[in-house]
Amino acid sequence: MKQQEHDQHSLMRPDRRTVLKGAASAAALGTTGALGAFSDLALAQDDLRAKILQIPGVGKGAPTDSDWQKVGELCLGPTKAGVKEGEFKGVELSFMGLNNQNLHNLLFRGFLKPWEAYTGAKISWIDLAQADYNPRLQQAIATGTVDFDVLEMGAPFEGDVCGKGLASEMPEWVKKQIDIDDYVEYLKPPVGTWNGKTYRVTIDGDCHNFNYRTDIFSDATLAKAWKDAGNTSEWGMPKTWQQVQAVTKFLKGKKFKGQNVYGYLDAPKPWGGFGFYFLGSRATAYAKHPDDKAWLFDVDTMKPRINNPAWVRAIQDVIDALPSEPADQLNADPNTTGFQQFLAGIGSMIPWWGDIGQVAKASDTSVVGDVVGFDILPGSDDVYNSKTGKWDKLASGPNHAPNCAYLGWGIYVMARVNGDAKKHKAAWSAAAHLGGKDLSLWMVMYPSGFQVHRTSHSNIDEWVAAGYDKKYITSYLNSQFNSYNHPNRAVEPRIPGIFQYYSIAEDELTKIFAGKVDAQTGANNIAAAWEKLTDQLGREKQIGLYKASLGA
Amino acid sequence: MQDTSPAAAVRHDKVAWQRIAATRKALGRGFVVLASLVLVTVLVVQILHVSGTITPGFSDWRPVLYGYVLWSVALGVGQVMARGERGLRALFLLPAVLFTVAVVIFPSLFGFYIATLDWNLSSLEGPHFNGLSNLYALFHDDYYWNALGNMIFYTLSVLGEYAIAFGLALLLNAEIRGRKFFRVVFLLPMMLSPVAVSWMIGKSLMEYRFGPAATLARDLGWDNPAFFAAPWIARFSIQAMDAWVSIPFIMIILLAGLQAMPKEVLEAAKVDGANGWQSFWHVTFPIMLPVSITVLIIRIIFKLKLADIVINVTAGGPGGATDTVSSFIYRVYRDRSNVGYGTGLAIFYLLLIIVFLTVLLRLSHRWTQRVS
Repeated sequence: MKQQEHDQHSLMRPDRRTVLKGAASAAALGTTGALGAFSDLALAQDDLRAKILQIPGVGKGAPTDSDWQKVGELCLGPTKAGVKEGEFKGVELSFMGLNNQNLHNLLFRGFLKPWEAYTGAKISWIDLAQADYNPRLQQAIATGTVDFDVLEMGAPFEGDVCGKGLASEMPEWVKKQIDIDDYVEYLKPPVGTWNGKTYRVTIDGDCHNFNYRTDIFSDATLAKAWKDAGNTSEWGMPKTWQQVQAVTKFLKGKKFKGQNVYGYLDAPKPWGGFGFYFLGSRATAYAKHPDDKAWLFDVDTMKPRINNPAWVRAIQDVIDALPSEPADQLNADPNTTGFQQFLAGIGSMIPWWGDIGQVAKASDTSVVGDVVGFDILPGSDDVYNSKTGKWDKLASGPNHAPNCAYLGWGIYVMARVNGDAKKHKAAWSAAAHLGGKDLSLWMVMYPSGFQVHRTSHSNIDEWVAAGYDKKYITSYLNSQFNSYNHPNRAVEPRIPGIFQYYSIAEDELTKIFAGKVDAQTGANNIAAAWEKLTDQLGREKQIGLYKASLGA
Repeated sequence: MQDTSPAAAVRHDKVAWQRIAATRKALGRGFVVLASLVLVTVLVVQILHVSGTITPGFSDWRPVLYGYVLWSVALGVGQVMARGERGLRALFLLPAVLFTVAVVIFPSLFGFYIATLDWNLSSLEGPHFNGLSNLYALFHDDYYWNALGNMIFYTLSVLGEYAIAFGLALLLNAEIRGRKFFRVVFLLPMMLSPVAVSWMIGKSLMEYRFGPAATLARDLGWDNPAFFAAPWIARFSIQAMDAWVSIPFIMIILLAGLQAMPKEVLEAAKVDGANGWQSFWHVTFPIMLPVSITVLIIRIIFKLKLADIVINVTAGGPGGATDTVSSFIYRVYRDRSNVGYGTGLAIFYLLLIIVFLTVLLRLSHRWTQRVS
């Protein structure tokens, strides 16, 4: 547990005095009837949450635009409390976001339609495919042609947008409306803030968890074969990357239910920079030391760590595992491993964002809904200490360092609305509606592209009431929240151009995985290219922003 | 009867010129000078504003565009006013020239300028001039030269596409049953978007697990039919997809040439006792050479721009085996926002293509003449 967390708990510990104060206050409220009113309010909110979660109902088909509108309508309460009907008449807002898998902006349209009807504002939409998003945003920033008022954006781009003064600071009333304190610990400041100012309405929480096949890791035949192969450990879900490697190699050539069975699935094909996260998930347990916040660059110099022994070991693991993976794995990107392989029953372990858990049960294309389990990413028996240059074995056991990759999507309001008070309020009202507490619960339970990101999302009973299987959802939520709250979580640097670093690395990694260069040489090449990029972007500024993003 | 001789035209011009009043001429010239001054002033103010030398200026470059449009109109009006009939004639050409300057010549020159900048969109400092550094970096960029190497393979493959297309064109030119049906069917791949082909063929038909092509390959004894995992197989697979889309284009041009060919020549060859191969090699092929050269040049130009299928199916992998110059530039520009270097790569590639095609045209011209 971190020191500040410990201190906070000490402060919150109730003593006799605070208990008596609380009891007296409660009694006073009870006599005035206020407690009854609060209870009614709480019950009404519970009713609302239960009601929206039945639209359309888990396992009752994919939600449609009409469902999104119904949910948006039911969740208008906080907006109505602060905005008069028709108050934004004549206001036109431009909203830029994604249209991945027909979600994101398409959902927002539905959610905001009742908001538009009530407030009188009108929204025009700029829909972008994932691949178009980064260049479109960068061009708008660099050429000073920001033509949108509200933006769906991931935290890694905060350096590009908030660092350049292009975003509008969140008003206090929005913080209250969205209950900003409900966010999970790792999404609280510095994430979403820049120079102490808050900019983001968080609608998503991103980290890589570990998805595995429960049927394969409980199969008696495979367990016997495992023992027969001379393994002393029990057959089961690997807890460390060393075990992942051993299991992957063991499963090569084995059959399960008459089919070829594979172990871990790597994603070696470039994916617009996003593929690098998957090497990151293999590397964090080796590279993120509990005594060091940094794991990708040195804090004071931005010297890349990609060619240190920890990262090279992760790269070598991929090289060693690939021959035991499907024959065409070299041409598999994360979309392939997640949606065409794992959900289709190929492979027994992958790291991915929480989408896999969301989709495994709900999607018709998934065949693993009943046999998938979740955990935080595997650990490592030893961890590289960049400060001493040695591998440490921790007294606490294997080192775990969940990869908090991408830090989730958020809604940002652009600074260009600041000059018009009505438009400013309208833009923030729209953002607050999308990031509302109740609406967020619906979004994380149904296919939306967004995952749990609030402490209030951890209420298992709500998930079960919505139709989720208790065992399944407990495993899923634990994997998410235990990653977010892990004391040694590896948080992504929010520095300008971070995807450029990833994209450069992907190019070199594909050469390494194709056998054109060895792991160390390839890693050295990546490090050299990263150094060049840091110089191009401005080393001193990058160092400052990197430190700020780490809270160092 | 009207006198249309050149001497008469000169006489007519002279008369028309003499008829224009001096004040009108001065007014016409004045229009042009005034519009030029407006354009230059707007341009200079904006340049100084953007460079931070002066505070007044415009929020964007749109006023410069308006200035150019105004100048273009003034130039046209000025021509007519100052030069009369001759100015009116110039007016027929002027819009096209000004449009070409605006959308071809200026962007090309601007491209050369961008290529001399160190401009990464994520850089907080913005663009700055760095001379020939991008060119120097390009010569040390393994990815660029690897992609150029791959382009040699892809370009040479055009010869194979041409041979297949010629065969198909000959077949469709022959008196075969269902000729019209096959002509339409053979054209279908050309009508498909390469992106659709990437998904339909590269990611579905040739998919390792369930793709029919992979299943067939397994039935034929290939244990692990991974079409994109080994360098040469991946290269050939990409080439096959691109050929499938492009062969109909070559075929249709060749077919048009074959249909325009005089039948008497072939009949004469037949009378002289030439067999099918001799007729083709000594008669059809030489006659078709100009058409062939034209279609090959066009096809090579298209081939040198190959990117979409590569980006969608392999992203240039495995290990850069299928990468093309365009797909590499796409990554530099799009994924890495490296505008200056990306433009430098594109401009250098453009120059290479111009040189290559100039040499190719000269060689083909000589060869055609020799064969003829």
